[in-house]
Amino acid sequence: MNGTDLTAVLPLLILTVAAVVVMVAVCIRRSHLLAVWLTLAGLAGAFVSLWTVATVAPIQVTPLLVIDGYALFYMGLIIAATFVTVILAYGYMEKQQAYREELYVLILTAALGSAVMVASNHFVSFFLGLEVLSVALYAMNAYLCNRKLPLEAGIKYLVLAAVSAAFLLFGMALIYAQLGTLQFGQIASMLIGGVSYDKTLIYPGLALMITGIGFKLAVVPFHMWTPDVYEGAPAPVAAFVATVSKGGMVALLLRYFYETGAYRLHSVFLVFSIIAIASMIAGNLLALLQNNVKRILAYSSIAHLGYMLVAFLAGGDRAAEAVTFYLVAYFVTTLGTFGVVSVLSNGERDADSMDDYEGLFWRRPILAGVFTLMLLSLAGIPLTAGFVGKFFLIAAGTSASLYGLIFTLVVTSVVGLFYYLRIIVAIYKTPAEVVTTVPAALPALSRSGNLALAGLTVLLVWIGVYPGPMLDVIQHAVSTLRIF
Amino acid sequence: MVLWPFVVFFFVVLLVPAGMIVLSHVLGQRHSEHATGSPYEAGIVSEGSAEVRFSIKFYLIAMFFVVFDLEAVFIVSWAVAAREVGWAGYLEILFFTIILVATLAYLWRLGALDWGPKTRRKTR
Amino acid sequence: MLHLLWLIPAFPLASFVVLATLGKRMPRKMVPVFGAGSIGLSAVVTSLVGFSFLTSPPPGNSFTQVLWTWIDVGGFRPDIAFYLDALSLVMVLVVTFVGFLIHFYSAEYMGEDEGYSRFFAYMNLFVASMCTLLLGANLLLLFLGWEGVGVCSYLLIGFWYRKPENGLAARKAFIVTRVGDTAMTLGLFLLFDKLGTLNIQDLMHQALVQWPVGSTLPVVAGLLLLGGAVGKSAQLPLQTWLPDAMAGPTPTSALIHAATMVTAGVYLIARTHVLFSIAPQAQLAVAIVGAATLILAGFSAITQSDIKRVLAYSTVSQIGYMFLALGVGAWSAAIFHFMTHAFFKALLFLGAGVIIESLHHEQDIFKMGGLRKEMPVAFWTFLAGACSLAGLPLITAGFYSKGLIIWDTWSSTRGSSVLWVAAVLGVLLTSLYTFRLIFLVFFGEMKTKVHKRPGFAMMMPCVVLAVLSVVGGFVDTPEFLGNIHSFSDFMHLALPPITERPLRGMTEIGSEALVTLVFLIGLGVSYLLFIKRRDLAEAITAPAIAKALHRFWYTDWGMDWLYERVFVRPIVWIARVDKSDFIDYIYSGIALITELLYHGVRRTENGRMRWYAAGIAAGSIIFLTIVLFL
Repeated sequence: MNGTDLTAVLPLLILTVAAVVVMVAVCIRRSHLLAVWLTLAGLAGAFVSLWTVATVAPIQVTPLLVIDGYALFYMGLIIAATFVTVILAYGYMEKQQAYREELYVLILTAALGSAVMVASNHFVSFFLGLEVLSVALYAMNAYLCNRKLPLEAGIKYLVLAAVSAAFLLFGMALIYAQLGTLQFGQIASMLIGGVSYDKTLIYPGLALMITGIGFKLAVVPFHMWTPDVYEGAPAPVAAFVATVSKGGMVALLLRYFYETGAYRLHSVFLVFSIIAIASMIAGNLLALLQNNVKRILAYSSIAHLGYMLVAFLAGGDRAAEAVTFYLVAYFVTTLGTFGVVSVLSNGERDADSMDDYEGLFWRRPILAGVFTLMLLSLAGIPLTAGFVGKFFLIAAGTSASLYGLIFTLVVTSVVGLFYYLRIIVAIYKTPAEVVTTVPAALPALSRSGNLALAGLTVLLVWIGVYPGPMLDVIQHAVSTLRIF
Repeated sequence: MVLWPFVVFFFVVLLVPAGMIVLSHVLGQRHSEHATGSPYEAGIVSEGSAEVRFSIKFYLIAMFFVVFDLEAVFIVSWAVAAREVGWAGYLEILFFTIILVATLAYLWRLGALDWGPKTRRKTR
Repeated sequence: MLHLLWLIPAFPLASFVVLATLGKRMPRKMVPVFGAGSIGLSAVVTSLVGFSFLTSPPPGNSFTQVLWTWIDVGGFRPDIAFYLDALSLVMVLVVTFVGFLIHFYSAEYMGEDEGYSRFFAYMNLFVASMCTLLLGANLLLLFLGWEGVGVCSYLLIGFWYRKPENGLAARKAFIVTRVGDTAMTLGLFLLFDKLGTLNIQDLMHQALVQWPVGSTLPVVAGLLLLGGAVGKSAQLPLQTWLPDAMAGPTPTSALIHAATMVTAGVYLIARTHVLFSIAPQAQLAVAIVGAATLILAGFSAITQSDIKRVLAYSTVSQIGYMFLALGVGAWSAAIFHFMTHAFFKALLFLGAGVIIESLHHEQDIFKMGGLRKEMPVAFWTFLAGACSLAGLPLITAGFYSKGLIIWDTWSSTRGSSVLWVAAVLGVLLTSLYTFRLIFLVFFGEMKTKVHKRPGFAMMMPCVVLAVLSVVGGFVDTPEFLGNIHSFSDFMHLALPPITERPLRGMTEIGSEALVTLVFLIGLGVSYLLFIKRRDLAEAITAPAIAKALHRFWYTDWGMDWLYERVFVRPIVWIARVDKSDFIDYIYSGIALITELLYHGVRRTENGRMRWYAAGIAAGSIIFLTIVLFL
């Protein structure tokens, strides 16, 4: 550990310090606004520090962490998403009767875990990051502990994440037992490099790791917790679970399977193909007639991860770019949709029923417009970020001749369109058609939430209409990934 | 790989307990008096429920104990190698301890260490 | 200065966004500030750009502004780029200036309407789309603008959507133009497919290089483009939507359905003139369509009783002249007539709006009359527009532009004497229906009382346009009248001049004199029938055969009747019979299967944690099996 190394992990250090500072601030003076400002300052500091770090990148810090352009890009993405989550959480928590400030300590900790994951090229840092993220998430899910659903979500997430972590550890252990190393790069040279090894240990090891990874990504058949947790967790937390937690894991998935070359193994390819197809089909089917908006979003996220796996399986630089781009688009839209949900929620319940959205256009036209745009992007309608993202996914898949997967992607996207349009139809119902009695008093919208939504909308359209600059950044970042 | 001993073993494992249950069911005697269902057939009839609620404080303190006890393990492991890791190690453990202290201070301030019903501050 | 080009569509677009989102919340007075102000800014920018274009012409007399690359995939690399040359400059100038005047007028005309901000939002979107259409450097932007103006036209025809017949008119306009649009889309695809570029200038260049004159492909492409132009510009056989489109607010009729949008077809053909010059058959078709339309619509106009419908048929007829000019290769004459027509027809519609407004929304010309004394300003401006339309010799713009077309029809190698006769006959008809309108509305006895007089905002645009309708023609005069060719010369920077054929038996002055004579005959007959001897007019229409003919013309040569029977009813019938055809079963079957599958997979989400954990374990076991044994 020397000065350069410390510079390289600056974002991680800043996040850590920010978490401690917020905690100390809470015990000195309990103020929601203060906690939020400190959190935002910490995140902004970490984000700005990325440019400082870029001067020393790429660099291997201890055997555990690699700080390269790829890691920096994903850290930036995670920090930005956390930033938006915090803004959404502020407006949301203002309406709640509970301790509010600790949530930000947890959010910072979780972001730290995710940031560690994207920079790890070693099983130990992988697992450390994962656990830091998970443990914080348990508490975040159950944060509103005077309600039933968040508690249920927290418990379910706790138990199932522990189960899956056990699988993951077992998988790592098997690989270590055979290869004697925990470093991705060394695994690569042994796995592909011609060293003879016992497949009966390595392959189950990989399969068990896929279980652990698949759980975090919420892909079939490890997906079943998703709707319950999304439904139960407070809306901003659900946004966080859907973006930061999954984003960190996607980054790791790419790095782990690409840098170790494991994606080239036939059986790994087969397993992921099954996962991708099953996720696309099951995710979209499950959402079809669902009436709870948060559950719909949960199912749709399952399908979206399935889409990403299609490009992931294509392999290579282009595929990594496509996945990363799609992830960015997915971040923007997911934060946007959950943002709308959290803006509309009140102190008693989250606005997650379809009834809450019936005729929304006539009550809150701009918000309804934003929500429509976000949903259209999720559905992949042109001129939105989602369309460009899907386009790249399909392009990557086609270039690798994965026609079966592409076909599933296209067909299930059509099915997906149905439930997105169902929400949109509900939004634009005229007041006369709305049968359910909507509470006369609308919740006061938080200005901070509106601001975040406005920013996300601009970003959505910008990426959709003019994806060039974002694509350049991603290409630059992904080029540092050492694909084996 | 020779698979058949494994298969045989598997079925034997299934058969032995199944046989025990079935045999005892067939061979065992059966009776049904009015006290058969109670815990102590020949004792005093039990009163109330066994599910007594303990104060949540016990669990809380127990958890704090586990957490901080575990952290102490790290400090011990540093102490063992204190000379070898040098000042860098010292700084690291210092930061670690500072964070621990901050956490403790937070818990204290939150009222988590108070042993009484009314000391928790109201929200807001 | 040329780099300001992108601002021309940007201002109205921005204003549209503002009005669409905040229009209902902003104070009513602010709406026209945005609505008309943005167009004013556009007009200012256009004149700055035009000034710079004239004083320091860019190299090649054209200027391309590439804003950004929309997407870059394989060989497909469309830029968001604007292209300015003499053609687009003149068109954009007219669109923004006339557009501004009409917006200004609307500020008062629509003042009482509850959809005030909605109206301006649509109108601004229209101007933005129109400018995109005119300035777009590639087929993609052209198409975007083309569809954009179509949508705005639809929205504005159906502006008062509470009345079902307005909605029907809007639908008719949309569907009929869609027929043409489909042809045009095919044409565009054909061009892109065969020539491999979207950029219009490259496309024309490629066409010239790759295709020999008269070969099949350019003819097919040209005819397909003509299909689109015919739909948008309401030419035979797709003209039926325009008279019904008068259901929209009058400023809309003035801007969209007279001055600008309906000339998009003219622009399309002028823009792709290279293609037509290597496809003589297609160009001949353009000329024939134009000649036929101008006569048929002229007859229809004579019989109409609704003031706006008279003007609508007159628009169809005048655009017929432009098509005729395009068809004989008189490109600049077509654009010249487009310009003067935009002035006088916008004026006539605005004048009609003034009259309608002051007569309690009365549109029937037989219930008007004697307004000359009551509304002098309206009368004189309307008269100026009408004279320009009919081509009053020497002092009106219409005389010069129409005269040029008629002369070019005679003198061009691609013209012919038959077309020339049609054009001259058109002058007679124009003069007849125009003065019929004037005499019925402004002369004779008053039949409806004037209840309201227009204010400054409505009269100012009329006066300005009246001046333009008179002097607008002096930029290009025939040889014997000053021989000014500044407009033609300017247009020739972008469009080729006509190729003259050896003349026989006619001189320009002779042609103009004949036109004047025909004009006077029309005026005289009109005067006789509608002022001097009203009984004579009734006597003429009394016989059964005349009545039938009148009816026939009144219903636009029975076109609507014919289409109703040939297309609409069979299609509706087929749709009704085929309501649940077997293809639908496939789709509803798919929907049903997905629904069943949903109910199946839904059972896996039962909320039980042990089941979820078992799922994770089962998944792992399956994957272990796969990696070990496959």
